Amino acid sequence: MAFTLRSVKVPSNSVSLEEAKGRVFDFFRSACRSIPAIMDIYNLDDVVTASQLRSTVASEIRKNSHVTNPKVIDMLLFKGMEELNNIVEHAKQRHHIIGQYVVGRQGLVQDLNTKDEGMSDFLKNFYKSNYF
Amino acid sequence: MAAVRGALLKHLRVNATPLARNPNPTSHGLFALTFNAIRRRFCDEVKGSFLDKSEVTDRVISVVKNFQKVDPSKVNPNAHFQNDLGLDSLDTVEVVMALEEEFGFEIPDNEADKISTINLAVEFIASHPQAK
Repeated sequence: MAFTLRSVKVPSNSVSLEEAKGRVFDFFRSACRSIPAIMDIYNLDDVVTASQLRSTVASEIRKNSHVTNPKVIDMLLFKGMEELNNIVEHAKQRHHIIGQYVVGRQGLVQDLNTKDEGMSDFLKNFYKSNYF
Repeated sequence: MAAVRGALLKHLRVNATPLARNPNPTSHGLFALTFNAIRRRFCDEVKGSFLDKSEVTDRVISVVKNFQKVDPSKVNPNAHFQNDLGLDSLDTVEVVMALEEEFGFEIPDNEADKISTINLAVEFIASHPQAK
């Protein structure tokens, strides 16, 4: 079964940032290599192309690119692996994939940073801290 | 489509290899026939499975130009992904994965890390017998 091959046996324990970076790239490559299978499982050929999915995966990884702690990176990679396993073993459904990885790129609300974009700056600062 | 073009080119290109009985200064008599037989085998079968460099260069350049983050006018065969085209390391991995998909064979991770310019990519793919 494909998912047993990919599931992480032991959570990785990166020593340095470079090792974590290498693991990130390995994860990205395994995700890209499973994209054709994913498009086949969920019949995504009409909705999205493989290169768009690759860009989506890359932007998801890039969202966490500011992290410097290798242990945090390991944890994020573990969650990413888990998500990839779920998708590949068909534990998700087509609307999950489309909603989370296809439509969001064009302006679904969950893509925005804060849910209340129309809020005033005063309120935003107020919620953030006491002093502004 | 690229396979059709390759097949058409292969059909149109006439091999100028000489026939068996050519005077070969290096081998005489007993070994001449076997050497020429080996040479002909090398000409047709083994060389036939490698793609030629100009075709590989065209396909690689078209893949890189289709990449969203790349400015198409800056793409030339000497372009370095990070220095000239302004991509970061994750983008470089993504471009290599796009090339893997285009040519239909797996690039091992340690080799993929070394590919940092379009020239290196073309050389690696042109020297790989499994490239389609």
